[in-house]
Amino acid sequence: MGGMGRLKSYLWRYWRRYFLGAVCLLGTVTVVMWIPWWIREAVRIIEQGGSPRDVTGYALTIVAAGVVQGIIRTLSRSLIFNAGRDIEYDLRNDLFAHLQKLPVSYYHSQRTGDLMSRVINDISAVRALLGPGILNLFNTPVYFFYAVILMLSMDLRLTLVALLPSPLLIWAVRQFRGKIMKSSLAVQRQMAELSSHIQENLSGMHVVKAYTQEDHQIRQFAKLNEEYQEKNMVLATLRGLIGPCMQGLNGLSVMAVLGYGGLRVIRGELLVADIVAFIAYLNVLAWPTAAFGWMLSLVERGRAAMERLEEIFKAEPEIANPAHPASSIESDVAVEFRHVWFAHDAKTNGHAVLKDISFTLPKGRTLAIVGRTGAGKSTLAQLLPRLYDATEGEILIGGREIRSLSLAELRRGIGYVPQDPFLFSNSLNRNLSFGRDGISEQEILAANHLTRLDRDVAIFPEGLATVVGERGITLSGGQKQRATLARALLTEAPMIVLDDCLSSVDAQTEDEILRGFRSVLKEKTCLIISHRISAVKDADEILVLDEGRIIERGTHAELVERGGLYAELHHHQQLSEELEQI
Amino acid sequence: MDRPDTTNRKTTEDRGRRTGLRSPVSGHEEEIFGKAYDLQLIKRLWRFLVPYRKLFWLAMLVLPLQQLFALAQPYIMKVAIDSYIAGAQLWGLQGMVLLFLFALAGEVVTAYFHYYLTMLVAQRSLADLRVAIFTHVQKLPMSYFDRNPVGRLVTRMTTDVDVLQEMFAAGVMTLISDFLMVAWIVVIMFTLHVQLALVSLALTPFMLLAINFFRVKARRTYRLIRERIARINAYLGEAISGMAVIQLFVREQNSYREFDELNAAHREANQLSNIYEAGLYSMVEAVGTVSIGLLLWYGGGEVLHGIIGIGTLVAFKEYLHRFFVPLRDFSQKYTVMQSAMSAAERIVQLLDTPTAISSPAMAVVPKPFRGAVSFEDVWFSYQQNDPVLKGVSFKVAPGEKVAIVGATGSGKTTTIKLLSRFYDIQRGSIKVGGVDVREWDLQALRRHIGVVLQDVFLFSGDIRSNLCLGNGAVPEERVLEAVKYTNADRFVFRLAGGLDAQVRERGSNFSTGQRQLLSLARVLVFQPEILVLDEATSSVDTETESLIQDALEKVMKDRTCLVIAHRLSTIRNADRIIVLHHGEVREVGSHAELMQKQGIYYRLYQLQYAMEESKIAPATPQLKIEP
Ligand SMILES: Nc1ncnc2c1ncn2[C@@H]1O[C@H](COP(=O)(O)OP(=O)(O)OP(=O)(O)O)[C@@H](O)[C@H]1O
Ligand SMILES: Nc1ncnc2c1ncn2[C@@H]1O[C@H](COP(=O)(O)OP(=O)(O)OP(=O)(O)O)[C@@H](O)[C@H]1O
Ligand SMILES: [Mg+2]
Repeated sequence: MGGMGRLKSYLWRYWRRYFLGAVCLLGTVTVVMWIPWWIREAVRIIEQGGSPRDVTGYALTIVAAGVVQGIIRTLSRSLIFNAGRDIEYDLRNDLFAHLQKLPVSYYHSQRTGDLMSRVINDISAVRALLGPGILNLFNTPVYFFYAVILMLSMDLRLTLVALLPSPLLIWAVRQFRGKIMKSSLAVQRQMAELSSHIQENLSGMHVVKAYTQEDHQIRQFAKLNEEYQEKNMVLATLRGLIGPCMQGLNGLSVMAVLGYGGLRVIRGELLVADIVAFIAYLNVLAWPTAAFGWMLSLVERGRAAMERLEEIFKAEPEIANPAHPASSIESDVAVEFRHVWFAHDAKTNGHAVLKDISFTLPKGRTLAIVGRTGAGKSTLAQLLPRLYDATEGEILIGGREIRSLSLAELRRGIGYVPQDPFLFSNSLNRNLSFGRDGISEQEILAANHLTRLDRDVAIFPEGLATVVGERGITLSGGQKQRATLARALLTEAPMIVLDDCLSSVDAQTEDEILRGFRSVLKEKTCLIISHRISAVKDADEILVLDEGRIIERGTHAELVERGGLYAELHHHQQLSEELEQI
Repeated sequence: MDRPDTTNRKTTEDRGRRTGLRSPVSGHEEEIFGKAYDLQLIKRLWRFLVPYRKLFWLAMLVLPLQQLFALAQPYIMKVAIDSYIAGAQLWGLQGMVLLFLFALAGEVVTAYFHYYLTMLVAQRSLADLRVAIFTHVQKLPMSYFDRNPVGRLVTRMTTDVDVLQEMFAAGVMTLISDFLMVAWIVVIMFTLHVQLALVSLALTPFMLLAINFFRVKARRTYRLIRERIARINAYLGEAISGMAVIQLFVREQNSYREFDELNAAHREANQLSNIYEAGLYSMVEAVGTVSIGLLLWYGGGEVLHGIIGIGTLVAFKEYLHRFFVPLRDFSQKYTVMQSAMSAAERIVQLLDTPTAISSPAMAVVPKPFRGAVSFEDVWFSYQQNDPVLKGVSFKVAPGEKVAIVGATGSGKTTTIKLLSRFYDIQRGSIKVGGVDVREWDLQALRRHIGVVLQDVFLFSGDIRSNLCLGNGAVPEERVLEAVKYTNADRFVFRLAGGLDAQVRERGSNFSTGQRQLLSLARVLVFQPEILVLDEATSSVDTETESLIQDALEKVMKDRTCLVIAHRLSTIRNADRIIVLHHGEVREVGSHAELMQKQGIYYRLYQLQYAMEESKIAPATPQLKIEP
């Protein structure tokens, strides 16, 4: 389905409103076309000294027509414009819903500012097509229809002459369409560039300031802005041409009528009054014709925007619910990896981040993963809740291949603490109770105690109602991490994944948390990633990952004994401690 | 993210008010002073037109020319009909047709020219406005960004400015000529016949009242629209950056509901404004028609009674028609203008936000500069009456390596943010190179201090641009060296493109540790006099970390160094250690001294060491650090 196809399906949804609007519009135009006639009649009666009664009758008719016209015009415009707003609303909601289905990898390939620009600006452009665009789409033909009928009723040949420039109009429309569409697309794209730049600049403001990058950022912005201005100007030049062109074409009709009609009057075939009336009708058409040109540019801009939206709609939600989700079964093995391979750009033969990973994690046990920076630990963890799908091999949870499970069920079963602590700009309370409905105050307090967040909260003047900044920027690094930890614990999921979640927490707090955890973890299946031996040494099994491969596995004692990478890491940490002691 | 803004943003706005930000205009005050207020806004924005005033006036000059060509056409027609067609003069008719063509061409050309010039002025001045907003935003203090969602500010610079553009495109510049036209017609009507004029214009005062009613109502709705679209944008920005979290916690439905709520509120305001707009437009049209009806009714009687001539009545009818055409246009432009003014309000409000932290008029750049740092009785709170630092004092000698340790939330990051003057302190003083940071030239100060913030941020682009940032002239060796020292070379040179490998937004195509290494390399490229590392290697494995330590020692020889770390191994090279607790300096000294003292540091150390050492839970003494 192309962009316009999709748009049509939305239009169908509201066809009743558009139809009603069109009917009202027809009524308005009808009244508008009648009023001059009544005026003329009234003036004629006055001129000929008719009865005041008749004059009053016409005058009252005109007053009534004015009132009626006012009411139905309000109706038609509100109906059509509001239907446009309804479609805008639907479209924005649907786009958001679609975005929610797209996998994390999609967001890595897009810029936030660009997506935002599409959801805001491009949809606005589409809406302009749906409201004012469609209004004029109805309006212009109706006016044309009336005018042509009236003209035909007077004289066929003169009508044909008056319509002589019409092919030119069609030609002009053809000329403009493609160009405006292309130019609009360029403008919308540049707008997205601009908003991406702003978005990035603002989210990295602390770095911009710390490295005094303000001027550099301004220069970059000015450059993008300049381009935006130029592209806008190209579009404006095109759009600016349409209006006068349409006006000119209308003028040409008038001219043709004047010349040809004049000739026939001189020949004695027509009356002067006929020409005057004819020209009056053409004048009625002047405005709708100009509006038609304007509409043309709106429609083309809307089409361009719709194509950009379609790009999002076309993105496949690669990680989706299976058609017939199986439910997980009771099994002693909580997680099993069977020869799992993973590459970020599998389609383009990107290099494998995970290579032939196999392990089993029994229910209620703890598995730890250690390894150098960039070894693939986080990637491995992200495969579990299907943030990514394995390129090869199988992952089983509760004895079922995860791709056959319902996505929601799978994810609800995992309390995940991502390495990058992300909080929403909301109260702490809401952030903590994010993962599950109906979390009680007691539960929050308990989780806070477990993560030692209670001490920090006690200091905040607004306590749990404290509103944190975007991404949680108004919290300290450790507070943020512990908040995400508490958030995951509160889901009460049977499995918990901790990705280096205490890296910004001091030793004492870490110790307290780990000790508190011991009882919690006993009931849960747990996957821990850490650089600190202290956090992993009690695990039932430790996997050592290097360049995507499991190079060692075993318990702490076994691994230390073996004298491999783990033992080296352990040694390093010990050594540095000892060094300090000297 | 559960419930969206209703409560959340309110607090944000309230906070804004407390800190002296001008709150979004509302209430009676503004309604009463509405017009003067708009004039003020226009004056503010006029500044951006000034550089293009020649073009502007040219556009204004073309306007009468265009109108001349337009008005000539009916006249030519009249002459053609009256003299040549009626007089059966074919040659003359041909001449008139050609003349008409000329006038038409003239009108088309001037109309286009006017539009072109107007758009040129609009585009250029709005581009300037955008840069002005962006530039101003760069100067705003960090506290502003703590409070204001990114999406909201993006809206200010994009969508809101575009609304202003619509104002130009709708031809608001012709408002004045519309108005003059209307005024002229009123004068002519009254000179022609006072009574008829009174009857014809009888409805006009009511119309004006209605327009004023509309102004107040519609303005309020437009304001709502601007606010609501900003909220949608803010929500969207957050949802997109946090999509992984939303998906992980299966919160799609809640989040959809929240978005829907914002979206519906936006639609509601827009639909209300549509009804106002449609009502206004239709009303002006209707009043025009009804007025003609009244004129015919009253005037017709007068003519029939022989009081006035038919010519006067016909003329009045024509004038009335011409009176309402510009009014109808005016009503449409007026709507656009009201919408533009509410956008302008927000823009001006942003431009008026004080840049609380900026270089003083007589900024100092001490030379020669040695990296001494001192904190003297520093008190600081992010929010009033909630001090985060309470009388912090310490000194760092040039070339000294000092570590800051302490529990999470104790104020370590805050301390170094203050050093770079991200925030201004409430009491005490912070000196760098012997000069108070508030007297420093801000940019110079920050250039001397290289900070690796806890919150790692990479720009989209490539690795090189992230390391060098805006400094194009960094020698290649320095970059390579920095990459090598931080051990980033291990992964950088394995990527296709090496230093030119792509970096996605926020560095999302790198692991967290790799991102840290890159941001550490960045500071080494800059070779600052004072190096500040805030948890710069917290997500890096121990082995890499110790390699970095050794490298850093070489690089930072003779330079002042402030290091914050939780892993005590990270700070093993420090000359002195400062222990911060609940915003107070509790201990200062070398590792040996502090160990001897057996205070907080000693216990921290024991604990960490014990944790690494023992396999089973350490039977450490119950640790309690009472504030
Ligand atoms: N921008 C801010 N606005 C309001 N409060 C803040 C802001 N930044 C930090 N705080 C608060 O100030 C206190 C100290 O924070 P800071 O970041 O300095 O701690 P820290 O010692 O660096 O902790 P960590 O070790 O966890 O990084 C915390 O309670 C935090 O919630
Ligand atoms: N979106 C992505 N596109 C391409 N490559 C990626 C992407 N995300 C991560 N990588 C690469 O995959 C590898 C593994 O990354 P991962 O985040 O799993 O490492 P990690 O072991 O968790 O490291 P750390 O200890 O630093 O957190 C890294 O080399 C990284 O550069
Ligand atoms: Mg990781």
